[in-house]
Amino acid sequence: MKLDFARVALMIFFFIIPVIGIWLGQNSPAMRGRIPLLVAFIAGMIPLIALYVPKSFLSGQEGMSTRLDQWLIIVAGFALLLGIVNVLQNSSRKIARRDSGWIFSAVLVTGLLITGSFGVWGALSGNGIGFMPDGSPTPFKWVEDRIFQPLQSTIFSLLAFFMASAAFRAFRARNTEATILLVAAGVVMAGRVPLLEFLAAPFPGLHAAAATGSRFLGGLTEWIMNTPNGAAQSGIIIGAALGAASMAIRVILGIERGYLGLGAGEQG
Amino acid sequence: MNRFFEWLLNLDRRWIYVFVAISLITPIVVPIGLPVTTTDSTRRAFEHIERLQAGDVVWLSFDYGPSSAPENDPMADAFLRQCFIRKLKVIVTALYPLGGLGLANNTLARITPEFPGLRYGEDYVNLGYKDGAAAVMRSLGESIAKPFPADVNGRPIADLPMMRGVHDIHQVKLVFTAATGLIGEYWITQAHAQFGTPVIIGPTAVSAAKYYAYLNAGQLIGMIGGMKGAAEYEKLLMAAYPQLDRYYRETHRFTATKGMDGQTVLHAIILIFIVLGNVAYLSTRGRRREIA
Repeated sequence: MKLDFARVALMIFFFIIPVIGIWLGQNSPAMRGRIPLLVAFIAGMIPLIALYVPKSFLSGQEGMSTRLDQWLIIVAGFALLLGIVNVLQNSSRKIARRDSGWIFSAVLVTGLLITGSFGVWGALSGNGIGFMPDGSPTPFKWVEDRIFQPLQSTIFSLLAFFMASAAFRAFRARNTEATILLVAAGVVMAGRVPLLEFLAAPFPGLHAAAATGSRFLGGLTEWIMNTPNGAAQSGIIIGAALGAASMAIRVILGIERGYLGLGAGEQG
Repeated sequence: MNRFFEWLLNLDRRWIYVFVAISLITPIVVPIGLPVTTTDSTRRAFEHIERLQAGDVVWLSFDYGPSSAPENDPMADAFLRQCFIRKLKVIVTALYPLGGLGLANNTLARITPEFPGLRYGEDYVNLGYKDGAAAVMRSLGESIAKPFPADVNGRPIADLPMMRGVHDIHQVKLVFTAATGLIGEYWITQAHAQFGTPVIIGPTAVSAAKYYAYLNAGQLIGMIGGMKGAAEYEKLLMAAYPQLDRYYRETHRFTATKGMDGQTVLHAIILIFIVLGNVAYLSTRGRRREIA
């Protein structure tokens, strides 16, 4: 293993310092928050500095920021693992206590274990999770195609029914704002589909007028989506980005500490 | 009349469900063949792909799951068809955890047999799924091999002829993301904003509204929004390529153009219900005030 500066620095920041932090934290509760704050500060500052300091040990192919990006992918993988452990813990507790709906938890755990074991089998056997060498689907793919995909599609398709019912009940001209929303929604719903052509289909004499009306509604819809909607979306996106940036600064500077999950007396 | 309005205002939602079911099922059984008009955002996407040169490398990311497949599948299908006709090299990935890879595999298995001359590894590659979408995209700026060391079958990407000379995302001429959630936005904020890679997005209709802001800001080349956008894209392909015109007219498979029939009838039903609901609400409002 080549011990370049970036690798050594990362080992110090993210291995040696955390180990020292754990040791200190065991001896002094007040120290438990200090080292994680330092680690978060370093992890937050490295990509920021790398943006402005074009040095290879920071932003090069083997630089610290680049390596942190790759670590992020690995950490994201652990988040999935954490999710699986969480589902198993909660569901098994529910099954053991025979809480209401425990049978659904049993189905969930069974599905997780069976599908997961097919995936592990695919990895160990070298067949993967797609197709076998003879072109037939692997067990994992069979479960995905025959069970998972139809189930997900079914659940999502129910949305059409709920949305239709909700639109009927909620879109009422109760006041000026609601009326503006109602009219805009009506225009967009009509303009996104060839509604007038559909309604005029039984009347050949109206086809040309329907086509013209449809083009007008389509243009009006595009204007609504591009101009008022586009402007509002820009404001929302910029506002959310500024909020995320300020939260990131609070975390880097150690002002925001909620993510540490520390108890009383451990804040440092 | 007032009794009718009162009945309408208190209508059991199951009646609405019955109307929705009929309006969706009927056009599937008896297709109507309604016309599709194209919008500027879809035309821009189509024309940008048309301007790419044979041999250019493009990236297709399956960032959606089976829940939105009826909207996203037709756009991914159409994009692949256009790319393969224009002899573009396609890198396929999936960054959506809930079934993205399965849909990528199924789509490739469905589309590639339509083009008998295609060779895996030379004309297209499938790099599979990788977790941590935004982090993966950031890594692509340095090296594709870092987040994707091997293809979906475990073959090192250095062994894939198509990937020679494609070191990082700077060599990719276009990213097309068929997306259901945040991952589509990540492609804009990571791949386009940081590396300058042109991005076309194919979002679901419900999330399309957000992307107009990026379109207006010039951060998106084009957008194929929902089933409507996919139907527009199919229409543009049919107009440009006679073989695809034949295919889309004769196929028994689901296409966005067919799906638009159901969507149109459903929109008509919902609009009729909304209008009736408002007429009933406004007609009975005075009486409700008196009672109050």
